[in-house]
Amino acid sequence: MKKHKMHVKAANMLVQALYELKQERLLVIQQKFEGFSCKCSGIPKHSRKYSMAVSRCWYKSAEKIRSRISRDLNDFSHQLEQFINTINAEDIRLPKLGDVVAEMLQIEDEFGEIKFDLKAMTISIITETIALEEITFGSFEIRLYLNDIKKLAFESPYKIIALDPNPAGSDYDVTHPHVSHEKLCEGDGFIPIRKAIQQGRLSDFFTIIVQILQTYNPDSPYVSLDDWEGTSCYDCGYTVSGDDCYYCEECDRDYCSNCSTYCQICDTTVCLGCSYECPGCNKPVCEHCTDVCVECNEQFCKDCLNNEGLCNNCQEQRKEQEDEKLKEESTTPKAEPEIQSDSVGETRISA
Amino acid sequence: MKIMYINNSGGGFADYMNIEEGTSIAKLFAEKMPHEEAANYLIRVNRQPVPKDYILKENDRVTITPTKIDGARN
Repeated sequence: MKKHKMHVKAANMLVQALYELKQERLLVIQQKFEGFSCKCSGIPKHSRKYSMAVSRCWYKSAEKIRSRISRDLNDFSHQLEQFINTINAEDIRLPKLGDVVAEMLQIEDEFGEIKFDLKAMTISIITETIALEEITFGSFEIRLYLNDIKKLAFESPYKIIALDPNPAGSDYDVTHPHVSHEKLCEGDGFIPIRKAIQQGRLSDFFTIIVQILQTYNPDSPYVSLDDWEGTSCYDCGYTVSGDDCYYCEECDRDYCSNCSTYCQICDTTVCLGCSYECPGCNKPVCEHCTDVCVECNEQFCKDCLNNEGLCNNCQEQRKEQEDEKLKEESTTPKAEPEIQSDSVGETRISA
Repeated sequence: MKIMYINNSGGGFADYMNIEEGTSIAKLFAEKMPHEEAANYLIRVNRQPVPKDYILKENDRVTITPTKIDGARN
């Protein structure tokens, strides 16, 4: 008997919450109505001003008013569309108290137990253990906040709480491929969930959510099942998701962003261990983009070696040596021609 | 004959509708969801599972809910 008393109290609270939702909907319609009326009331004013400007040949003013009307018409069509959508929205039919209690009893049949917290104004159920493709996520509490139902148009009035969480390795707030920060991404369930809440169909509401939790949509998870455990960085051991994992093409291992870099010449991703910091430009490069200076035998990136295979230092040194050589040559005095002894170089000519 | 028909897929449709006397739940499902398989849905009448040859009665409440509903990231 006491148990049913709780059901009736909770059902009353739900009906009251739906009544507030209905009120909220009417208020939104009222706001849109007022906004739309305000827009409409501006038209005669513009019309009068425009007519006056044209009749008095104030062409510049007429053009200004025309431009303003053109701008306003764009807003007008947007507001009209919003107004039509709001005013055409289905009425919220409040369920009978008996129907809500029947829904609650059905929930008990289906899910074993329904939990009420009348102080916090919540109704919740606990799912069985959810497993998708051999990954177990434990059971979840689906908690509906009756106080938040009035904000149904703007936010979800329920939370999905992992009771025995097995969160994604890369993000502890993701407790299910479609649950993050205790919020379910409803996907195809968006409209049916809202309709079920609006109509007080509690059993359908909980059933739809359970069906979503039991379904894996590989096209749009927060974290895919393939990456659920995450990938451990080979260097520091940090667990990263697929998007933040970098594969070193040199050593064929996975690394996190802090333990990997890319070659600044060929753009290949490499781990810090396989990258080489060029002593010439200090840029990280891969092994393939380095070479040894033919003079000093030190390893440099290809950008820091010239065509002859010399690093900058060795090029400078070689230049200095060449300059010195030239200098030496230019400062050494030229040898004077030797003075020849008499008769050297002379030829006897017969008389 | 009037029944309450609730379809929890797509637009979350829920309304009263008229059906012929003697319509079975299997026939109603085939009419309403012609390209779907019953095995992929939880089909209930008056909140209870029923056999496919169940003959619908006045004011019955039929609920059809997909067993698989895709969640999404956004």
